[in-house]
Amino acid sequence: MLEAFPTQPFQVILEDGHLRPGATFDQTPAQLRELWQSMTLVREFDRKLVTLLRQGRTTFYAQASGMEATQIGIARGLRPGHDWVWGYYRDQGIALGLGLSLTDVVAQMVGSNNDLNKGRQMPHHSGSVASRFVSGSSSIASQVPPAVGMAMAQSYLGLDEVTVCTFGDGATSEGDWHAGINMAAVKNAPCLLICENNQWAISTPVERQTRSESIHIKAQAYGMPGYFVDGNDVLAVQQAVKELADGMRNGGGPALLECLTYRVGSHSNADADAEKNYRSREQVRGWTDRDPITRFEKFLALQGQEIGSQERADFVALIHRQIEGAVQQAESSGIPGWQSMLDDVYSDTPVHLRRSYEALRQEQSGQAMQVQEGA
Amino acid sequence: MTATEEKRADTEVQAAGESVQPKPEQPNPGQPATMTMTLIQAVNEGMRGELRRDPRVLVFGEDVGARGGVFLATAGLQAEFGERRVFDTPLSEGAIVGAAVGMAVRGLRPIAEIQFADYIGPGFDQLTSQAAKLRYRSGGQFTCPLVIRTPSGGGVKGGHHHSQSPEAYYCHTPGLKVVMPSTPYDALGLLRAAVRGEDPVMFFEPKRLYRAAKGEVPTADYVVELGRAAVRQQGSDISLIGYGGVMPDLQKAAEALAAEGVSAEVIDLRSLVPWDRETVMASAAKTGRVVLVSEAPRIGNFMGEVASSIQEEVFDSLLAPVLQVAGFDTPYPYVQDRIYLPGAGRILNAAVKVLNY
Repeated sequence: MLEAFPTQPFQVILEDGHLRPGATFDQTPAQLRELWQSMTLVREFDRKLVTLLRQGRTTFYAQASGMEATQIGIARGLRPGHDWVWGYYRDQGIALGLGLSLTDVVAQMVGSNNDLNKGRQMPHHSGSVASRFVSGSSSIASQVPPAVGMAMAQSYLGLDEVTVCTFGDGATSEGDWHAGINMAAVKNAPCLLICENNQWAISTPVERQTRSESIHIKAQAYGMPGYFVDGNDVLAVQQAVKELADGMRNGGGPALLECLTYRVGSHSNADADAEKNYRSREQVRGWTDRDPITRFEKFLALQGQEIGSQERADFVALIHRQIEGAVQQAESSGIPGWQSMLDDVYSDTPVHLRRSYEALRQEQSGQAMQVQEGA
Repeated sequence: MTATEEKRADTEVQAAGESVQPKPEQPNPGQPATMTMTLIQAVNEGMRGELRRDPRVLVFGEDVGARGGVFLATAGLQAEFGERRVFDTPLSEGAIVGAAVGMAVRGLRPIAEIQFADYIGPGFDQLTSQAAKLRYRSGGQFTCPLVIRTPSGGGVKGGHHHSQSPEAYYCHTPGLKVVMPSTPYDALGLLRAAVRGEDPVMFFEPKRLYRAAKGEVPTADYVVELGRAAVRQQGSDISLIGYGGVMPDLQKAAEALAAEGVSAEVIDLRSLVPWDRETVMASAAKTGRVVLVSEAPRIGNFMGEVASSIQEEVFDSLLAPVLQVAGFDTPYPYVQDRIYLPGAGRILNAAVKVLNY
């Protein structure tokens, strides 16, 4: 049983890879290997997408490196396609973990014709109704009240689904975060609110975000339990999420879970050299020394399930080929044209949009005058 | 209800039947064909009917439960449907609107009340970033059909936080539909259409007409399709076009004009997004003289869009510039409440100016 409001984060695997005395796990060797593969996929996805960005094949990228254990742990603690997730923009690891394909995620990043979201948003806003991963808004913390409302609906409908809402540490300063968490508590909505505390909101460190001693302690004021896990320990995150989600399926109310992790990369390519501007290389090194994948590899080795160097190299090469394939597939599917720009505003097409469509059709089919370049 | 309006009502039932497929209640032989009710009773009746018809419908907001809402729009609903379906929420517009979004995504049909339109502010991001954009941003994968009901407009000595007309903010947000009834018939019919539709709808209720507007409403099921204006009075010399709380003033101005031998056409837009271009253009082309009335502040007033469209589309038919009568570009005043509002006199003067151009 997870303890609410602990002083130290819950761990299953210690920093050196040993199982914490008293801790248990029930994954089979195959499941453990799958966790390693999923985390490695998220890490390599970052590497590959940064390369593509530099080649100008996408416009924006925000790395999740360092946060793989948190994101894969969340996805593996849930029932994919059954539970719902309202995530935030850096949640590509959760998206991939829930079963969105590399093609789905890459197509969204490229904004191509095979994007499930029809190229309507900048990169990092994947959504898939099949995976119950809701297409996100960039507006920070705006996913919190809707996630709570969804949990209220699940409760009303008597469903055994859980809604998970993820957000960063910066989101906890927004009004909607407080509005949502308060509503969840008052209505006893089965919503699992998860803070992926990576300690940075662009350039603002968490200690300048809140004077609270932690994020999870805030739950106390709202009248719900707050839990704290080591977000670089995939087994701890998975166990915590599964235990809390199962409690909610059985009639439990909301909870706040803080996963303490670290954003190793910059906020995004728009913020490419964080260490030059606002944080020290020493701090980053301190956290790369606590890398979640390295820790898990040590754990696997101690369990007699070592990842061999050939296995690692083969798997990484496979991922890179798959990502390259997904990129080529997206690029060859083309970019949506003007014809779909006015779709999906409403369930129907009101007269003003029909008129706009006709005007746009004439313009785009060359019936309108053009301004010559250099004229 | 005028004969024209009754005829129109019949067409609406048929037209809407195809698009929204309401489940008409079984005709009750002992029931009269119509009932007299006020606008707020129609709103109440609309919610009651939808709660009965569809178990996915929930009603919630601040003080809507046992209290029945500060204007009593939800009176008796919790007693009839219980606290699971009609409930109070924390005093938090962001949470109310946001919760409605999430419920709708999961298949419910939420009707959320914001106590006064002036207080939607904290829920603005939920409306503009979530409700309005969800369908578009997800390529149609996720949708949130919901209704936000809220009393708006002045005339109740409420100062600026109980009197404003903020509808234009929402008209300016693609993805939201925006309506404002001015009669019990429209309130009931538009509310049904909003709840049965597939889009997020901002449902503004002109609070000074809550009890002032009284009328006959059919007891049989009907809807008023969004995007259709109502011609309240046919005329040939000038078109007076408005919506919401100013409609009785348009009627009074039309009566004053009639006394002078001027035939005014009076149109109630009822629905702002989408709005009925066809009816407006036909009227403007017919009379060539148009006065547009809305009590919201002038700058960015929704009627500016109507004026712009009229001059684009029927410029050759116009006999005079299109005039707007609007609220002033000040915060809504307290003691000068009645001076601030357009009123029949200001509308009449604008009409005379257009007629004498």
